[in-house]
Amino acid sequence: MRLVRPGDMVVFVLAAGLVGASYAYFWGPRAEGDTAVISVGHRPVAEISLLEDATVPVEGLIGDSVLQVEGGRIRFIDSPCPGRYCIHMGWIDRTGEVAACLPNGVVVEIRGGHREFDAINL
Amino acid sequence: MTVSAPDAASSPDREDHLVAGFAALAIAIHILEAAFPSPMPGVKPGLANVVTVVVYLRYGIRTAAWVAMLRVLVGSMLIGTFLSPTFLMSATGACASLVVLGIVGSLGRYLVGAVGLSLAAAFAHMAAQITVAYLVFIPHPAILSLTPILMTAALIFGSVSGLIAASVDGLLRSGDGRGK
Repeated sequence: MRLVRPGDMVVFVLAAGLVGASYAYFWGPRAEGDTAVISVGHRPVAEISLLEDATVPVEGLIGDSVLQVEGGRIRFIDSPCPGRYCIHMGWIDRTGEVAACLPNGVVVEIRGGHREFDAINL
Repeated sequence: MTVSAPDAASSPDREDHLVAGFAALAIAIHILEAAFPSPMPGVKPGLANVVTVVVYLRYGIRTAAWVAMLRVLVGSMLIGTFLSPTFLMSATGACASLVVLGIVGSLGRYLVGAVGLSLAAAFAHMAAQITVAYLVFIPHPAILSLTPILMTAALIFGSVSGLIAASVDGLLRSGDGRGK
């Protein structure tokens, strides 16, 4: 008696297809947000549109962070923090995505469009 | 299976003994598995389902349903999750996988073996659990975004359990052959 029969392979292929489809469906292209809310500490200080390209300085707790808006995306291009994690985060453009410079207390969150997550736990 | 006068209606017959034995085995596996830490809620190998599949292959859906339901009921009582969300999810999952076992199993035993049955059951189990988790407990899209991970787990663990069930079934069959 063979362990795997022809029908088993069919079921396996269907199941694998279903898994692939679930990745495409649930993790596929997400809605792009159209504004970014900038907070310092817990206080929102500005809400800026992502439709206009701009360079925005933000006064934080230990100095000025500089944000760049381009083509519907936003990123940190400078910040007075030691690790520069905020800059390495790179561009964010999906609703709910967050880039933060914790030493400087500056947090940028994308708003608008269809919100998919309110927390991402990695 | 009441313990009273040994008349034919109430004394345990051969099937009752089978169900009790297999259910005990499934419960033991279920509890052993619960003792292992899980990387994520909802993801566990589900090796107890090997028992369900083997029983289904050998004795049919009725016996398999008894074994699965007893496992869920007694397992939850022993672990302490009886009537909790975990219990509801596990019961729904078991029901869904039994229904799918019955459907896929009726396609033809020589076409679809233990691996196919186990995979189909694992997916039904996972789908039912995600549905319950989403509709009853946490109606938030974030739950649905776990679907790909859970489905991947179902694919891997379903295949592994299926292979185990297939070899167990094969061994039992060769044992039957020698016994006679």
